[in-house]
Amino acid sequence: MEVLCREYWHANQEGSGPLLAATISPIAPPNYLNRLDAIYGDTNAASISRDISYSLTKTANAAIQYPNPEINSWTEIYSAYWYAIGAILAAEHPTTKPDWTKVYEAWKDVANTVIKGYSGGVLEAWTLPVLYTAGKHLRAFAIKADENARASGGDTSFNAGGLQEDIAGDFGKNEKLEDAARVINRMFTLCISDRAPLEESRKWGLYYTTNLLFKTYFKLNSIGLSKNILRALSASKTDTPTLEAFPRSHIVTFKYYVGVIQFLEEDYAQAEENLTSAWHMCHRSATRNIELILTYLIPTLLLTRQQLPSSRLLSLYPSLGSLFAPLTLAIRIGSLSAFDTALAEGEHEFVKRRIYLTLERGRDICLRNLLRKVYLAGDLDEEGKRNTRIYVKDFAAAIRLGESGASGEGMDVEMDGSAGENNDEVECLVANMIYKNLMKGYISRERGIVVLSKNGAFPGTGI
Amino acid sequence: MSAAADGSGPTAKATTATTTDTSTTLKDQQKPAAALEEDDEFEDFPVDDWAPEESEVPPGQEGGTTHLWEESWDDDDTSEDFSKQLKEELAKVKGQK
Repeated sequence: MEVLCREYWHANQEGSGPLLAATISPIAPPNYLNRLDAIYGDTNAASISRDISYSLTKTANAAIQYPNPEINSWTEIYSAYWYAIGAILAAEHPTTKPDWTKVYEAWKDVANTVIKGYSGGVLEAWTLPVLYTAGKHLRAFAIKADENARASGGDTSFNAGGLQEDIAGDFGKNEKLEDAARVINRMFTLCISDRAPLEESRKWGLYYTTNLLFKTYFKLNSIGLSKNILRALSASKTDTPTLEAFPRSHIVTFKYYVGVIQFLEEDYAQAEENLTSAWHMCHRSATRNIELILTYLIPTLLLTRQQLPSSRLLSLYPSLGSLFAPLTLAIRIGSLSAFDTALAEGEHEFVKRRIYLTLERGRDICLRNLLRKVYLAGDLDEEGKRNTRIYVKDFAAAIRLGESGASGEGMDVEMDGSAGENNDEVECLVANMIYKNLMKGYISRERGIVVLSKNGAFPGTGI
Repeated sequence: MSAAADGSGPTAKATTATTTDTSTTLKDQQKPAAALEEDDEFEDFPVDDWAPEESEVPPGQEGGTTHLWEESWDDDDTSEDFSKQLKEELAKVKGQK
């Protein structure tokens, strides 16, 4: 126990939250790989609490006053930690079947004793990283426990009725993570409800705990719950430090999740702001995080600014390149068939990332580019002005070509037969373009032409 | 999920001697409980905070990102296959008028 207790006093002496948090880490540091074994082997269940309390007192530099609430709190935390280590070592033992549920439950005790330390006013704000470590690993262990339960699956069907089986099964599959969400929510409440002056307030833990909740809700597919957190944050805005005053890791993570939430709610203007800001501020060597931010920023900018990632940007992140390059190329050249192919081929990945529906709206941009090409292919008059009256059948031909793909096979046949019908459809598409302000002009049905605006026929595209 | 996140990173090098000492027994070859996080999840940053210049796009340099984004259309693609086909197609339609 002396190792643990010395670490404890050292962290206190330094006033270092991260060092203190490291004392309850469930992962051994690289420079002390058998730390967990050493702590666990040092005592037993019968004397754990007495041992810790004694060691904490003994290793202190100064005389300890009794009763000492801090020693009591940490005795509780470290006792829970000791039990958790036991469960972790058992789970990681190569010859036994890992029981992550047990690890989760043991770690939940750690989290609860930590929460108790804060709610009782014993743990000060500088120790917040302890809360973070407790919460972070609680979530991770919950995920493992649920995976474990799902893998061993099926044996929980006490509900033989059949009808309710699906619901019960669905509900049970993230049991521990849902439980963890409640505990983390209490951590969030601990932070938001602290009325202490800002310098010593737990309000500094607000964004870390918020981010942890966001991650948890996303994993649970209950993204809607994030809205409650955002509401609570905005309600306490007046007595919370501004977001900019927090560490960058908290800010970037927060802006990423808020941006994604807004993206999913189709509030693209706000999403653009938050995701752009997250991208700019992100640590430049955090490649994976930058990729994740861009995964949402790319579809967002496609809609808000009709911009596409350059090949230079995509080449910096190969995984984004394979995700977006085919679609990007299709949009740029206005090939509807290439667009449809790219969307269909990427469907699985797009749906998984929840960007499919937004990307699908990029088809309008693709079509705009195609129609724009028809306009650009038109003749110039004597004054060098481009012809703004375009036959619907020209657009129809372009769309047919765009949709049929690069090979011209069989197109002539189609052209003869269905031209009339097609023109109605094409008029509909053009009307839609005009309605969405991607094109300016009107359709003259009697004459079968589209009359484009003389200035800015395709707004924002330089013509 | 790295131990560095817990503040022990900077000391890792100075104490490598301990590592070799302690890793001799079989029991010590315990793997860190890594890979708990899912692939698609926003990762924990290895550091809590960093200098503005260590950001992907440091403040004041936002203008330098313009080459990373392009307009969604391309006017310099006359040589590209699809555009060529489109021109031919339009010429064909014209011939029918």
